[in-house]
Amino acid sequence: MPYRVRKPSTAWQPGIWRALICLVAFPIAVGQAQQPNPPAPAGHGSYTAVHAAKGRRLTADHSKFKVLQGPFKDSDGPAVTRACLTCHTKAAEQVMATSHWTWNVAKEGKDGYGKSTHLVNNYCISIIGGNTESCARCHAGYGFKDKSFDFSKQENVDCLVCHDTTGDYEKEKGGWPNPGVPLAEVAQKVGAPSNRNCGVCHFFGGGGDATKHGDLDDTILKAPRAEDVHMSKQGAGMDCVDCHASDAHKVGGPNYVLPADRREHPKYPGETVSRMSCAACHTDSPHKSYVLNRHYQKVACQTCHIPAFARGTLPTNTYWDWATAGRLKNGRGYKEEDANGYEAYNSIHGEMIWQRNVKPTYVWYNGNLKFTRLTDTVTIPADGKIVLNPAEGSYSDPNAKIWPFKFHDATQPYDTALNRFVAPYTAGPKGSGAYWGDWNWDVAIKMGMETAGLPYSGKHSFVKTTMLWPITHMVAPKEQALSCVECHSQNGRLANVPGFYLLGRDRGTGIDKIGIGMVLLTLLGVGIHGYIRYTNVRH
Amino acid sequence: MRRVVLYEMFERLWHWAQAIMIILMMLTGFEIRGLGVHLLGFQRAVSLHNILAVALVTLIIFAIFWHVTTGEWRQYIPTRKFLREMVAFYLTGIFKGAPHPVKKHRMAKLNPLQRVAYLGFKVLIIPVQVTTGALYYFYPNLQHALGWSPSSLWGIAIIHVLGAFGLVAFLIGHVYLTTTGHTPLTNIKAMITGWEDLQDDAYFEES
Repeated sequence: MPYRVRKPSTAWQPGIWRALICLVAFPIAVGQAQQPNPPAPAGHGSYTAVHAAKGRRLTADHSKFKVLQGPFKDSDGPAVTRACLTCHTKAAEQVMATSHWTWNVAKEGKDGYGKSTHLVNNYCISIIGGNTESCARCHAGYGFKDKSFDFSKQENVDCLVCHDTTGDYEKEKGGWPNPGVPLAEVAQKVGAPSNRNCGVCHFFGGGGDATKHGDLDDTILKAPRAEDVHMSKQGAGMDCVDCHASDAHKVGGPNYVLPADRREHPKYPGETVSRMSCAACHTDSPHKSYVLNRHYQKVACQTCHIPAFARGTLPTNTYWDWATAGRLKNGRGYKEEDANGYEAYNSIHGEMIWQRNVKPTYVWYNGNLKFTRLTDTVTIPADGKIVLNPAEGSYSDPNAKIWPFKFHDATQPYDTALNRFVAPYTAGPKGSGAYWGDWNWDVAIKMGMETAGLPYSGKHSFVKTTMLWPITHMVAPKEQALSCVECHSQNGRLANVPGFYLLGRDRGTGIDKIGIGMVLLTLLGVGIHGYIRYTNVRH
Repeated sequence: MRRVVLYEMFERLWHWAQAIMIILMMLTGFEIRGLGVHLLGFQRAVSLHNILAVALVTLIIFAIFWHVTTGEWRQYIPTRKFLREMVAFYLTGIFKGAPHPVKKHRMAKLNPLQRVAYLGFKVLIIPVQVTTGALYYFYPNLQHALGWSPSSLWGIAIIHVLGAFGLVAFLIGHVYLTTTGHTPLTNIKAMITGWEDLQDDAYFEES
């Protein structure tokens, strides 16, 4: 149903009313006629209205440009990029300055926090041990297959993956376009990135739909309002880029580096401010209740407004046990499903747990996750589990809030002599030395570390790890926000969040006992006194 | 036997309003603390508790004004006169049907034990609850402004909770002692109607 329904004609109304209504309505009707796409109404917005408005703002019809008429050779992405660059002369340069291109980030003065460098995770672990080519399907470029890739070649920037509006664009190994993609047609219909463009990679992190993030998966494209009030077409109908606003192709809101500046208003007219905080649109006091608004100081909006993640129809991976990979039947890998039909075992991955509607884990977080690199020496803590990216923050940290996280548990290989994580070569055919071909960790790790150019002692073992994924998408309608007692109770959601007194959770040892004792003693005294009085009166 | 107005209209309104508010604050308070009361739900309990707090403080301000302007505050001046006799009465005399040792009078309607108890209630328990309650409510602001440690709220909360239990104990004792009048309901009736039959001749004995 369209958002605005025209009121029925009032022409049959008689006399003076008709005249009056015509007088008033006529100019309004004319005004509307001149404006074919009415602006989006305030409030919840409307997918149709918002996107009509976005379409109206376009000033170029790319199908009219000669340079985009083609024909382009199959998979010849660079030819399309060269065409784009004839008008958008600085676009490639801009993209090449971003982590979408470099797959690398410097953090606190240290380099190497990226996929193409030394960042380690506990899903596919790392791409640099020889797995780059297949993983580069998600690189915003063409031809990234190993470290020989030329990161300075402008024509290798992939414009289409973000700007395709047809949905026909697909990337293959090394990031090359699928040979079946009609490049000229796609190039003539470019536009602003939609959720599908971002989702084609970001929904599929960890190697499959919904696997990695927990709050991002393909179901968002067709989500009911209850799954995501912002991105649902029945909700606000927003696009990713409405919040992740870009400045010269630099998309706001990367997870690896804390946005150094959390200002929510532009410093000067025209400055693009990434709307990465809820308050940028909702203000910092959106509730009617003063007490609820005050929670903003210490509790992230997400904590109450995202009661669970993976609320679509897809499960997210919560446990990945590399140590159990490699069980074979008749020399071949196999798969097993759990009761829900989710993959409980796969020889190439090990045992796995997949879950839907998962309650987040809550920790203090000031925006900084302290990631681990393959080059970092790690120590195994007493509980035997290494947290790969502990969240920084505490109650006393003025920038920290209680945040919901997906905690992803795993076991993964590490170098027992050097105490570093390793990047195994996993994806390759039989005889290549890759783990999925030859089922030999020693060889796979040795080859992986050689390819990565990193030292390996030759001795490995598996260690338990946890990784934290901040939950911020899949915001639920307000009716589904957590009730107070979800946290303000004993054994509630915040049972293990330290450093402060929480009403309803914390009691002070023995205070209730002292109080109840006081009341009981009074009752006892009163009872005895009354009993003696009563029996004496009867005498 | 004389029939006199012992409690003025304002005094009775104040007393009963205060009683209702304190009982509601107890119930909501214990619901908030999670002590097995489930009446309104946490959020509404918190709202009502906070609203009642403001209402009660307002009422207390009126009551202080009334006490000062009428001179009734003198009723609460502690005295040792008949104190020992009152204690003895509650410990033994009352069981033997002994007469009440203190004569009620319009200008001295509280016995020495009541004076101490109510004065304690007014200058100790209520101020402690009001102060800790206000500190509790404004803790985030105060902590921010004054740089208090997050753990200070522990102390404030514990005192507030102990004070609340104290109020419950007070209420129990208070209600029980109303039954020690001429008949069990004499005192409560007086607090409702204002009128009490002062049986001064029969009850008053010099000792």
